[in-house]
Amino acid sequence: MNNTITLKPKQEIKLAYIDNIPYEIKDGETILSFVKRYKGKKAVPTLCDAPNLDPFGSCRVCSVDVALAKDGPVKTQASCHTPVMPGSFIYPDSDRVQKLRKNIVELVLTDHPLDCLTCEVNNNCELQEVAARVGVRDVRYPAGKNHLDRKKDLSHPYMTSDFSKCINCFRCVRACDEVQGQFVLSMAGRGFDSHIVKGQETTFNLSDCVSCGACAQACPTSAISDVFESKSIVADKKVRTICTYCGVGCNLEVAVKGGIIKSIQAPYDAEVNTGHTCLKGRFAFSFYNHPERIKTPLIKRNGVFEEASWDEAYDFIAKELTRIKTDHGSDFIAGISSARCTNEENYLMQKFIRAVIGTNNIDSCARVCHSPTAHGMQETFGTGAATNSIVDLKVTDCIMVIGANATDAHPVTGAKLKQFALSGKPSIVIDPRKIELANYATYHLQLRPGTNVALLNMMFYFIIEAGLEDKNFIAARTEGYEAFRKNILKLDMNEMERITGVDRELVKKAAIAYASAPKAMSFHGLGVTEHSQGSFTVMQIADLALITGNIGRHGVGVNPLRGQNNVQGAADMGCQPHQGAGYYSVSDSLNHEVYENFYQAKLPMHKGYKIPEMFNASLDNKLKAMWVIGEDIAQTDPNTHKVVAALNNLELFVVQELFMTETAKLATVILPGASFFEKSGTFTNGERRIQAVHQVVEPLKGTKVDGQIIVDIMNKMGYAQPDYHPDNVLKEISQIVQFFEGVKWDELGINGKQWPVNKGGKGTQVLHTKGFMSGKGKFIYKDFAESQELIDHGKEYPYIITTNRELEHYNCGAMTRRTKNVLINTEDVLLICAEDAAKHLINDGDMVCVESPRGKVDVRAKITDEVKPGILSSTFHFPEVMLNNITSDVHDSEAMCPEYKVVACTIRKSKGKYKEKV
Amino acid sequence: MNETDKNNISKATPPSGAGGLKFSNETMELVKSIIKRYPEGKQKSALLPTLHLAQAEFDGWLSVPVMDHVAEVLQIKPIEVYEVASFYSMFNLKPGGKCLIEVCRTSSCWLRGAEDIIHHIEKKLNIKAGETTPDGKFTLKTVECLGSCGTAPMLQIGEQYHENLTMDKVDSLLDTWKNSDKHSTYLDTNTFRKN
Ligand code: SF4
Ligand code: SF4
Ligand code: SF4
Ligand code: FES
Ligand code: FES
Repeated sequence: MNNTITLKPKQEIKLAYIDNIPYEIKDGETILSFVKRYKGKKAVPTLCDAPNLDPFGSCRVCSVDVALAKDGPVKTQASCHTPVMPGSFIYPDSDRVQKLRKNIVELVLTDHPLDCLTCEVNNNCELQEVAARVGVRDVRYPAGKNHLDRKKDLSHPYMTSDFSKCINCFRCVRACDEVQGQFVLSMAGRGFDSHIVKGQETTFNLSDCVSCGACAQACPTSAISDVFESKSIVADKKVRTICTYCGVGCNLEVAVKGGIIKSIQAPYDAEVNTGHTCLKGRFAFSFYNHPERIKTPLIKRNGVFEEASWDEAYDFIAKELTRIKTDHGSDFIAGISSARCTNEENYLMQKFIRAVIGTNNIDSCARVCHSPTAHGMQETFGTGAATNSIVDLKVTDCIMVIGANATDAHPVTGAKLKQFALSGKPSIVIDPRKIELANYATYHLQLRPGTNVALLNMMFYFIIEAGLEDKNFIAARTEGYEAFRKNILKLDMNEMERITGVDRELVKKAAIAYASAPKAMSFHGLGVTEHSQGSFTVMQIADLALITGNIGRHGVGVNPLRGQNNVQGAADMGCQPHQGAGYYSVSDSLNHEVYENFYQAKLPMHKGYKIPEMFNASLDNKLKAMWVIGEDIAQTDPNTHKVVAALNNLELFVVQELFMTETAKLATVILPGASFFEKSGTFTNGERRIQAVHQVVEPLKGTKVDGQIIVDIMNKMGYAQPDYHPDNVLKEISQIVQFFEGVKWDELGINGKQWPVNKGGKGTQVLHTKGFMSGKGKFIYKDFAESQELIDHGKEYPYIITTNRELEHYNCGAMTRRTKNVLINTEDVLLICAEDAAKHLINDGDMVCVESPRGKVDVRAKITDEVKPGILSSTFHFPEVMLNNITSDVHDSEAMCPEYKVVACTIRKSKGKYKEKV
Repeated sequence: MNETDKNNISKATPPSGAGGLKFSNETMELVKSIIKRYPEGKQKSALLPTLHLAQAEFDGWLSVPVMDHVAEVLQIKPIEVYEVASFYSMFNLKPGGKCLIEVCRTSSCWLRGAEDIIHHIEKKLNIKAGETTPDGKFTLKTVECLGSCGTAPMLQIGEQYHENLTMDKVDSLLDTWKNSDKHSTYLDTNTFRKN
């Protein structure tokens, strides 16, 4: 028989038959995907198969008959994990398989409660659907032993289980292993005794579960679910939007009933997160209607906040701003936009500050996280954004993760990195802390905090020494290499080894692994940027990609893991004091003219203040008014005492917030903004993907969408700006920001578009495929320089404390602390190694007083092997601790990003304020 | 073992060591040599023999700390140990008697009087199958065919088969074990050494 059609020589089409009709096969596909592709999603029933998991083949419900010849003798095969054979004849619904399926389901039902009417997943249960489909009317088997008396597990704030409903399909186990990589769940026992376990027969609460919810979403019944009953169908509608908690940009499907958010699931068709989220995205939503939301504008009079109407508040602000502008000048006013707000809101905020106030004093929280990335990558590549996409992990051969604790801070990407490391391919982790990923990595270079530059210089040295540089790429696409090379070769590796504290042989191996991989990708986070040499380190990471030719293809590149959800967007939209929307320098006369014409306003040409400069200016009486949107600078910016003093020195301090944060308490006027559930717009994730945020619920009564607040005040101050709607603002943006040229609100689709988006609306997955914006990639050599903090204070304060994030909390914690996440992660803790703890007679759980030149805090000790002697680590999610009392405002020499990661300190067992609690 | 047994695995630590429990140096060497039989990175393959060694070393059963230690030694996830340990009936997840008697109850043995043997032992030890004597000496279990049908009825104590059973044979076996201080194990560590 001829099963191939020959079109041109050598190009063959492979065929197989479904019910005797020939169809074309795709390479490597299973019978199931083949049949589904032609006969529809429901053509074959399945139970153990799931969209985001590898085929498994445990339930056999997907069985089909397969013959080698038309109507020949058939064999029954599980279609989900059997590849289609060219020329085979598939009978997906023969009488035989129908009987078989029915029998399988009957057997399953002998051990199932059959209380569908009161079950959470009633009408959304895969077992129910399959039973209906195969036509089970009664169960012919006599009642035998069963597992119906299994106890429910309600121990966890979010996850629940009721294994009386378990059908042993293994989907949860596979989700936990293949998607999250947590290895919490497994099947124990055998035969009749087979049962799902969490850890060694423990509960969700006591297991290592990180509450990602992947297992609950994967479970076809309600055997594993969550307290929000996210698999029930009670909702009136489901709205798709984008998570606000980090730069991964997971798509969420939010179920709403009667205007109230019920639960959240992750859509499988989302390119970013394919059915996965972390607990912040999936479960930490209840902050949005928390009773502590601010619901009316507040004006502080004689030190107390008084409720005010919106008009009153607007009038008050407009009058004050006008007064300050006339009395002192526009430059006495500054704004800080928010990386949690939409692109449209960020655009409007900078437009307001520039075109209406008339100053370039606009910055955003990108300053305190990824400003060095933007700066460093602009210097080397000409564009300050991730060069590649996360999906490239599927094709790369090596990863290098530097200063990024992705499993906590970017959990969904973190899980993908973990899967990559688990696959056994070379993975390099550069981090002072033994982060989770380090346990799976091939190489963990555990350097002393603040020595990234020295360590990367070592890598260059060994790459050059081994002759592994990509000479063709260097010649064709870069400049400055010769000088760079000479400088590197001058370095003394013994000295570098001493500085970094990492064995040179290990560095050498890692360098060679990175340089010799056909495709290597790097990822970096705040452990790179929040240093005095942050920008330089970013340049080095970029140069590491240049020297090895790892740019401009799939599976390579430099990929900053952006912190907050829209840090990328805030910078893209021009919330920076030196560049306007689209990154054009405000000091360039040509750009200046373009901007003036576009905004129809007079604009200043001199750069504005960066955030740290704003605080200095205020203390010097050079700044009188500030406007901050959704950013708790008092809790999260370093050196709290100084920040608070600066804010107290202002005449007008406007804060747009959801909650009474530490910053809001200092405000003159508080305007109640709206959460991301209450607004529409776009967020741009860490891979330049502009995704649509859809309003899920109406803004809480009394609050307003932040974009509208800015529009209102612009109009109040005499600038005609149409009402906030993502459609019209996006249109305006696309006219000025070149890489947004083809972005249209109603064409974003479910997966958004990665900028640059051309006129025709086509996005870009990989940057720099042909050339760099700036022509050639630049090699820039930098010597390691010890942090000023350690030079000044290292003797007196011999410990180094570095700050980090915990999975459960987001930034200042204002949102996550108002969810059940606090039951999982209850307080900031101080990570300390056993050796140091013993030296100071500190036991696990003791309160420790950490003192730096700026102040002291009390924090509970957690003894761990994650940090080396001399190094401490903690978080600043809780105002009770206020860790930033001790952090320094030393900052990156170029971009002024503060050095949160290197703080000199001393420790002692606390006699302080928390003593009685211990 | 029935399901409730399984679900209530004991969290107790065996007397041989609390918390910092560890293989003896000798056993550790043995484990290392077993790991070496497999390609690098495939140390999980050494799991079954290691569990046998662990059970022999730590009082005839696998507690959670023991399984965690095995996971640590083999650099695998604790749950990977647990799923295997709970799968095989030869691993005990609860402390049992020093002498574990496993009587075959499958067809051949049954036809040749296994039931009477079981009742006889139950009466003598005053326990039911699945139970342990109060003095912690004996545990009685019934198991499926042990592949010794030609010499039915039969039972197994540790790695020893006792075949063509009669009541007298059973009595003398019980007497021997009663007066012994030994622990029945599935392995004579020498078997591992020879490989
Ligand atoms: S919630 Fe996530 S980590 Fe927890 S058991 Fe389920 S899949 Fe594993
Ligand atoms: S808990 Fe759910 S997903 Fe896991 S095996 Fe049981 S039915 Fe399948
Ligand atoms: S990984 Fe980031 S974007 Fe995704 S759900 Fe978690 S916090 Fe949200
Ligand atoms: S879906 Fe194929 S075996 Fe379960
Ligand atoms: S039936 Fe008892 S050994 Fe086979």
